[in-house]
Amino acid sequence: MEKIMTRMGDGFPVEMSESEIRSDLAAGTEDAADRGKIAPLSKEELQYLYDLFASPYRFVSVEPGNEIVLSYDGGALKIVRAAVNVDRVQAMQIHEKILGADTIELGHVDYSFKPVKPIVGTEQTALEQTLMVTHAPLFYGAMPNLGLYSQPDGPHPNPLDLLPLGKIDEARESYEMSVEDAVKDIVFVASAMYDSGADGINMDTTGAAGDPDFLAGLKAAEILKEKYPDICIELGMAGEFILGLHGELDYHGDRLAGMYPQDQVKMAEKAGFTIFGPVVNIKTSRSVPWNLSRAITFTKACCEVANIPIHANMGMGVGGVPMTPHPPLDIVSRASKAMVEICRLDGL
Amino acid sequence: MEMKKWLEKAAQSILDQDEESAREIAKKSLEDDMDPVEMINDGFAAGIRKMGDLFDRGEVFLPGLIIASDAMAAAVKILEEALPQDRRQEKLGIIVIGTVEGDIHDIGKGIMVTLLRVHGYEVHDLGRDVPIEEFVKKAQEVNADVIGSSAMMTTTQIGQKKLEEALKKAGLRAKVKTMVGGAVATDHWAKRIGADFFGETPADTIDKLRRILN
Repeated sequence: MEKIMTRMGDGFPVEMSESEIRSDLAAGTEDAADRGKIAPLSKEELQYLYDLFASPYRFVSVEPGNEIVLSYDGGALKIVRAAVNVDRVQAMQIHEKILGADTIELGHVDYSFKPVKPIVGTEQTALEQTLMVTHAPLFYGAMPNLGLYSQPDGPHPNPLDLLPLGKIDEARESYEMSVEDAVKDIVFVASAMYDSGADGINMDTTGAAGDPDFLAGLKAAEILKEKYPDICIELGMAGEFILGLHGELDYHGDRLAGMYPQDQVKMAEKAGFTIFGPVVNIKTSRSVPWNLSRAITFTKACCEVANIPIHANMGMGVGGVPMTPHPPLDIVSRASKAMVEICRLDGL
Repeated sequence: MEMKKWLEKAAQSILDQDEESAREIAKKSLEDDMDPVEMINDGFAAGIRKMGDLFDRGEVFLPGLIIASDAMAAAVKILEEALPQDRRQEKLGIIVIGTVEGDIHDIGKGIMVTLLRVHGYEVHDLGRDVPIEEFVKKAQEVNADVIGSSAMMTTTQIGQKKLEEALKKAGLRAKVKTMVGGAVATDHWAKRIGADFFGETPADTIDKLRRILN
């Protein structure tokens, strides 16, 4: 029987038979449904995905008229990472004028709110320069990065040192103090950049340090929204579920630890976020059909309950895209098309 | 009560994170002439393995794992005291672990360290931004069975390859197993640099460790 060329989650090419692909598609959606306690994909949706993988074309796309917003996070950093010597302002221009970005994002190389605080004046200057040479909506982006608030990077005891010693209360207290400090830094930097003309703020990779990290993002958004009712704030996630490092933190009565995208987006709405960017992680040892079917299942459930636009994270190691520095076009285009057409996304 | 019931109760006490209940079950199972080794391996340890799986799914959180691990340690102590010296379990293995030099990502590695300790491994955590020579020195000092290295960035991933080379140079490579982890590590990467295995998730790592050390 003819084999179909696809890839593994680490990007390596693999040839699979029709039955192998169908089996992985079914297993991927079942895994997501089981973990997230959500509905699996329908037979028609699985057939759609199979046809997508069976397509002989190198890359695929949505039909004209079904295009969606294309935004980039960390855009100021990625051109340089590819060893192209441009500064941040030029990187923004490249994204807008050459890569077709509908929104662009300025960020500092540290990409965390805390280190930006003491140099916010420099960032405001870079923002002003970027605004003068671009037209697309401009976000300022950084991560809450709660890890920077405990030793050795911050003032509070390191919870991951305390937990193995059984000092659970002390670890939780440290997380709670870190949340308060992070909220102040996020609000300070976001306010400064918004006052300087940024069209929006992107809190990226939120939840990377578990439930306290997610809570810091939510609390900061709440304050910013009250301060600037018209501000656009995007919440970009770090993983498919909120790691319970504290375990008992809640937001208006809802425990955050263990939340999957369909619950995360409801918290984002409550806090005042304008856009939500779910993340579904890739398993590198499984095939892309398994991973994409799984990512679509989580993202679809999130889109179905969302009242704010959903811009799914699609890139190295997330959203069904392989974990490789240069994600291959055959998979990026298939994953993007499927996300748009099955999940009814608002943006990528 | 039959063994199967005792094993279920033991596992459940760990899932309930109930140290008092775990101690009580350990004591009463001994009074009922149950085999302590079976109680440890197929009862309490089965409970902790299930806790690890639930953590991987976001259904159990890190503090809960620590409490469950304390409950298991308390029960195992009671059961081991009932065993003759020659039947007492040795450590599952000695592990030296750290995040490679230049990389300051600590959270995932920290979670892995906790999980390894919960499962009964002796873990020496070198922290983050660890020079290669420190991995080698510590492994020699503690007579490690396994060296684990974490890298979160493509730019620091090369440290895992350098570790393999340093271990060969020190004449240690044949004596230890190596595992790689972190967001950018993969099975192919592990094979390419000559590491013994890649741990994709905490549960996957525990499972592979158990197999490789057996």
